[in-house]
Amino acid sequence: MTEVSIEKLTKDYGQGPAVNSISVKIAEGEFISLLGPSGCGKTTTLKMIAGFEDATQGAIRFDGRDVVHVPVEKRDIGMVFQNYALFPHMTVEKNLAFGLEMRKTPKDEIRTRIAKVLDMVQLTGYSERYPRQLSGGQQQRVALARALVIEPKILLLDEPLANLDAKLREEMRVFIRDLQRRVGITTVYVTHDQAEAMTMSDRVVVMFGGRIAQIGTPSDIYERPANLEVAEFVGQVNIIRGKVGNRVVSTAFGDVPVSGEFADGAELMLALRPEAVELLPISSGATGAPAKVLSSYYSGSLVDYRLELAGGAVVNVQTFPRTRFADGEQVLVHAPADRFWPLGTVA
Amino acid sequence: MIIPPRKRLGPLLLIAPAAILLCVFLVLPYLNIVVMSFRMPGQGTPYGPGFTLGNYGKFFSDFFYVQQVINTLWIGFLTTFLCLILGYPVAWQLARGASTFRALGYALVLSPLLVGIVIRSYGWTILLGNNGIINRTLTGWGLIDGPLPLMYNALGIIIALVHVFLPFMILPIMSAIQGIDPSLEAAARSLGASKVTSFRRITLPLSLPGIQAGCILVFVLSLSAYVTPSLIGGLRVKTMAVTVVDALIDTFQWPFGSALALMLSVTGAIFVVIFGRLTVMKWKA
Repeated sequence: MTEVSIEKLTKDYGQGPAVNSISVKIAEGEFISLLGPSGCGKTTTLKMIAGFEDATQGAIRFDGRDVVHVPVEKRDIGMVFQNYALFPHMTVEKNLAFGLEMRKTPKDEIRTRIAKVLDMVQLTGYSERYPRQLSGGQQQRVALARALVIEPKILLLDEPLANLDAKLREEMRVFIRDLQRRVGITTVYVTHDQAEAMTMSDRVVVMFGGRIAQIGTPSDIYERPANLEVAEFVGQVNIIRGKVGNRVVSTAFGDVPVSGEFADGAELMLALRPEAVELLPISSGATGAPAKVLSSYYSGSLVDYRLELAGGAVVNVQTFPRTRFADGEQVLVHAPADRFWPLGTVA
Repeated sequence: MIIPPRKRLGPLLLIAPAAILLCVFLVLPYLNIVVMSFRMPGQGTPYGPGFTLGNYGKFFSDFFYVQQVINTLWIGFLTTFLCLILGYPVAWQLARGASTFRALGYALVLSPLLVGIVIRSYGWTILLGNNGIINRTLTGWGLIDGPLPLMYNALGIIIALVHVFLPFMILPIMSAIQGIDPSLEAAARSLGASKVTSFRRITLPLSLPGIQAGCILVFVLSLSAYVTPSLIGGLRVKTMAVTVVDALIDTFQWPFGSALALMLSVTGAIFVVIFGRLTVMKWKA
């Protein structure tokens, strides 16, 4: 097991840094995701960890040893590519044996390790197939097995689920996560899919424009986003504005207490997740702000509403479909004060 | 499933123009050559009445002709081999190198085809002749005493053929390499293969379809080349194609010339089939 430490890592292709002095410490056996929109530098970072790109500046340490000048083939990494990159002219067995042959592993050990890893990815009996004879999900698992069979120091995955259909993608999320836990390998996972990053990772690194916007557990990222960009990138969010006065922000939902760091009179942005809002019928007489249903979208387990508050502000609300409200209906909205998260003052 | 007649007709109509063209201008003349090769030699006419196996008998009984087929095959093999050795790095560079030089490189690769074959061959005689630029320069610098035998031999023919046929090797290999996903090489590197090993184990075998196509093209073209061998080989070195034309036009022996032409085609085809068998790719299918 290996601890990976990235220190002030920078990559500049000559048109300004693609990765700008980022630092992360990845613990032994940790599953960490690099999450961000395309062009945020997450893939470049992964390529630098793998050794496919040279770092312009900074250090990458595997267990304290700087590997920046170590070529790819000497870094002892396992990598899974977006398009799987299975060797089309080799059978599954030959694909899996490749990395072991490079390590001069004895023949009979190669055989036993391949059998073991095929069992692990539930592909026993497929060793004589060529990649083109496998489905997308099976190819994905072979790619995973090929990266793991060499027992690398770290596992790197570059959007490995992007080419799979939605159902298979969810299955593979669980599969990869379980496998990673069982093997206990330090893993870096690149994705632009926030649901993937949230469900699989111990910690998520959110990147924008070559910089790290936030590092934290999935719940940190979702419930306590560092800024507006992170809040909007990870899931849906309502941005509620209000003036600070006496350590309280007054909003359409009522007064929300905030910590003392915000001066009186400042206009604050608060994040409010759609599922944190409760919808109640007017007749309930409960406390809440009056709102009108603009539209609703039913998706089976959940209903998404668009509501207009009295002041004209629009909020998105997600509820269970136990009680349904019709378009145009007047309702009461309520959100507990602790579900608001301050994102900072309005610039 | 039964295919409605109209649907079956559609593809046939589409290939009809090409099929008719091939049939009238290739298959029929070819059949005519086959028939001609069995005709009696004529006295003052291209061929005489009746049929015989004598033309083939003459070919096999005279070692001169067999030797010429062997020489022609050798020239074909060497030309193909040299084209492969010289062409592969160029093809790789064009497929994977920096895009800045790609257009220029592409133009340079095609440039031999832009010059007429006769002019190009004369160009080589200017360079390779005993009084040619190369020999004069080397003599002038005092590096050699007499002219090197660069022309009127197989060496000269091979040099000129390699020049002409290089594009036919480079282009299929280039397109094969372009079709290889670069992430395969990256995957090999990540698994511990050096750049050289990843080329040997991944890129090279995957470019085999291009190598196969290029080799067959160059080999077949070399066997049937006429202008270049006749201008550069002169009277001393004759390839089969030159001998066939001699028989047909100079000595007016149409039946024997046809038999020679067919023997060349058959031996060439045999080697192409053997080569195809040797380089069969199980993973493609």
